[in-house]
Amino acid sequence: MNSKTMNDSSQGLGYLTKWRYASSLISIVLMLLSLTVIGVKGFNWGLDFTGGVVTEIQIDKRISASEIQPLMTAAYQQEVSVISASEPGRWVLRYANIADENQRPHLQTVLAPLNSDITVLNSSIVGPQVGQELVEQGGLALLVAMLCIMGYLSYRFEWRLASGALFALVHDVVFVLAFFALSQMEFNLTVLAAILAILGYSLNDSIIIADRVREQLIAKPQWNITDINNLAVKSTFSRTMVTSGTTLLTVVALWMMGGTPLEGFSIAMFIGILTGTWSSVSVGATLPEFLGLKAEHYVIAPLPDTP
Amino acid sequence: MTSIISNKPLNKSLNQYSLWKYWVLIVTLVILFFSALPSWYGEDAAVQLITKKPNTLSSEQVYQVLNNAGIKSKRIEQQQQNVLVVFAQAEQQNLAKNILSKSFSDTAQVTLALYPAAPNWLLDMGFAPIKLGLDLRGGVQFLLDVDLGLVFQNQAVMVSDSVKQFVREEHINGVRVRQGIGAEVHIETSQQAHKGQIRQFLSQQYPLWQVSGQQDTLSVVLSDDEQLKLTNLTVQQNLQIMRSRIEELGITEALVQRQGENRIRIELPGVQDPATAKNVIGATASLAFYPVAETGSVNALVLKDELNKPVYVSRRPVLSGEHIVDARAAVGDFGMSKVNISLDATGGKLMSEFSRDNIGKPMATAYSEYSRNDKGQAQQVTKIISVATIQSQLGSKFEITGAGSHQEAQQLALLLRAGSMTAPVTIVEERTIGPSLGAENIANGFAALALGMAVTLLFMACWYRRLGWVANVALVANMVMLFGLLALIPGAVLTLPGIAGLVLTVGMAVDTNVLIFERIKDKLAEGRSFASAIDVGFDSAFSTIIDANFTTMITAVVLFSIGNGPIQGFALTLGLGLLTSMFTGIFASRAIINLVYGRDTRRAIKV
Repeated sequence: MNSKTMNDSSQGLGYLTKWRYASSLISIVLMLLSLTVIGVKGFNWGLDFTGGVVTEIQIDKRISASEIQPLMTAAYQQEVSVISASEPGRWVLRYANIADENQRPHLQTVLAPLNSDITVLNSSIVGPQVGQELVEQGGLALLVAMLCIMGYLSYRFEWRLASGALFALVHDVVFVLAFFALSQMEFNLTVLAAILAILGYSLNDSIIIADRVREQLIAKPQWNITDINNLAVKSTFSRTMVTSGTTLLTVVALWMMGGTPLEGFSIAMFIGILTGTWSSVSVGATLPEFLGLKAEHYVIAPLPDTP
Repeated sequence: MTSIISNKPLNKSLNQYSLWKYWVLIVTLVILFFSALPSWYGEDAAVQLITKKPNTLSSEQVYQVLNNAGIKSKRIEQQQQNVLVVFAQAEQQNLAKNILSKSFSDTAQVTLALYPAAPNWLLDMGFAPIKLGLDLRGGVQFLLDVDLGLVFQNQAVMVSDSVKQFVREEHINGVRVRQGIGAEVHIETSQQAHKGQIRQFLSQQYPLWQVSGQQDTLSVVLSDDEQLKLTNLTVQQNLQIMRSRIEELGITEALVQRQGENRIRIELPGVQDPATAKNVIGATASLAFYPVAETGSVNALVLKDELNKPVYVSRRPVLSGEHIVDARAAVGDFGMSKVNISLDATGGKLMSEFSRDNIGKPMATAYSEYSRNDKGQAQQVTKIISVATIQSQLGSKFEITGAGSHQEAQQLALLLRAGSMTAPVTIVEERTIGPSLGAENIANGFAALALGMAVTLLFMACWYRRLGWVANVALVANMVMLFGLLALIPGAVLTLPGIAGLVLTVGMAVDTNVLIFERIKDKLAEGRSFASAIDVGFDSAFSTIIDANFTTMITAVVLFSIGNGPIQGFALTLGLGLLTSMFTGIFASRAIINLVYGRDTRRAIKV
């Protein structure tokens, strides 16, 4: 492996270079598109953030949304959204809260004309100020997590290498957000948790590749950076696929079996893991190259292995 | 790359763990296995009867009552002060509670409870099942907002009143006192000398208030330290009140904790109807006793009574609710309901001094309730519930009548007993999770976990044939450890997002092994023997594993510190999962590999 490669460091991995550049370009174009989508469509914020009332009820399977809707709208004097839940006969009702408890119509009475047993499976009433606080808290959590990760990365890696991982991270989060903007699926607290988890996971792949790049830069200072990048992507590729694969499998299991409460979470994770893998082998690995990463940056002895 | 080997001391034999490492591994796993075991059995619905006096209730009596009602219990346990009835079917719990509280209302307090279904020898070792969050158990959750604005405002009123009085007594003219926002008072005067006098008065009487002057205005603000202290005290007091109120409701496993600066989170597992709980929690009431002033008096406070007639009372109450130590509803003469009130020493003294000087004069009892108006602002509604003539000198025990029906008197007594509310509390969030939905969430979550686990195990077994089973053993050990830790850590709660975190952990945990195995593959391809590839593979993967897990750990910590209930559950399983997966992935799997393949010097092995 050693003496031969001194002369031809590309090791026949030249095709990877082209692939990496092309996929990076696609990533950047998609990211710009995603930002536009987020800007144009905005999010369908969940109850946790907006405040209001969400009640899940179980009634006779034969009753349709068009029968529930007018009764609710008349009683609560506002547009009440009636969405079908996971099973037939289950409905999720969402409306703004009526502050005065005495004037709040009783759900059982409102739906009495339907002549069906009505079981309230769960109900949540969230005040507007709580929602506002959560938006602030959620934003703060994202920001703090980002800052901590940046701090760690810049301590652990050379800034050019770190910026690749960071860009890949932003790319993934933007992508997941864009999906939620485009599909107008409810953006609730569990989705926020998923996005924070994606922050962590997306970095996994990038960091492992960056680790390899650093290792190779130290071991093979005379190689050019393009070839080192190709080698790093290639040699970690099977690991990337296996880990992303098992994680995707479990997320799919969660998606299939977890029921409605975890649906948004699973979908967010699913997309996050897909784009996370994609971005780590494309932009994540290519950006440091464009920023001029060279072997000289790692001539000095590396930092100790444990943080 | 050969440099890595030379870092090692040469005399250390390859791939050997010393005996103590195996002991650590085995002991850890065994302890956590036993800790995880009770969760497997789950919990049974139970009812607890806490007797007011020891040994006044026997388990036979309880059995008799339940048997007559046709309710079968799994077992009845009797201890000194309580009797525990465990049911095989959860539906019987509420029914039994109603029947038992009817039968033993004099001797015992009946509360709903859960009892671990695990065999006693396991419980005796001190292990308990994992605590489940409300989204898995069903119940009601409230988030209360403690309105501190009114507390601060009351403080400001106190200061401005006493400044006004001081100014009056000292005959200082041309002074205007007005209240600012919160704990803030502005005093306007053009005379420099008056300013000095007022400043001196304030620094003597109210040393905790900061006085700053701008031209003609003195601004008096409660110091930041003191505001914080007041906030903490008020929230603490409200926490205490909520705890005792919930105790009155008969829910033993309720959770009452502070959230953020001025919020209180209450979780009532097993409660299906939020209305009753809400009436007790949401109502904030306080009581104060006022001397009645002359009708039409200018310097008096005008309050309305039940019939909306104005009653003139002194601005300053004789005493307020915080001196009340006990309040009980009782039936008085002519079948009228009344509330017997006991005061603490200070309150008793105040009341006895006041009543001694005012025999024959009327005293009004004012009842204040806080509610939130359309704009979400807290407002206080005060009404006079009784005006009574003081017949004799009152002590620390006396009674008030006129609270309405017996039920209303009971409600009033309950509220008074729970203490005085110094800050209004309003419900800003209310969630109800039906018990069937909770059970469904558990079933869904664990189905997802089982499927995710099965798929991952299968995949690893097929992909890394020779080493795959090691990764699988490590993964199973990882799950056992995770469940064990969740049950062991005090305050750890499993929620639905928490289960999602477990499922994710399954997928991610194998990463540690994958990283190591890929390195071993690389080293084998370089022509090393299996044993040496294992040694170098583990070493070179280590720093990568730490790097990769560290960033996820950061997000888990951030989520845990900033998130609320369910999200904290996710952060907890995610973070713990990382720790256990590193333990099992690096330590446990190395221990196994060392034993099995540690001496394997073959080359060109396929992994």
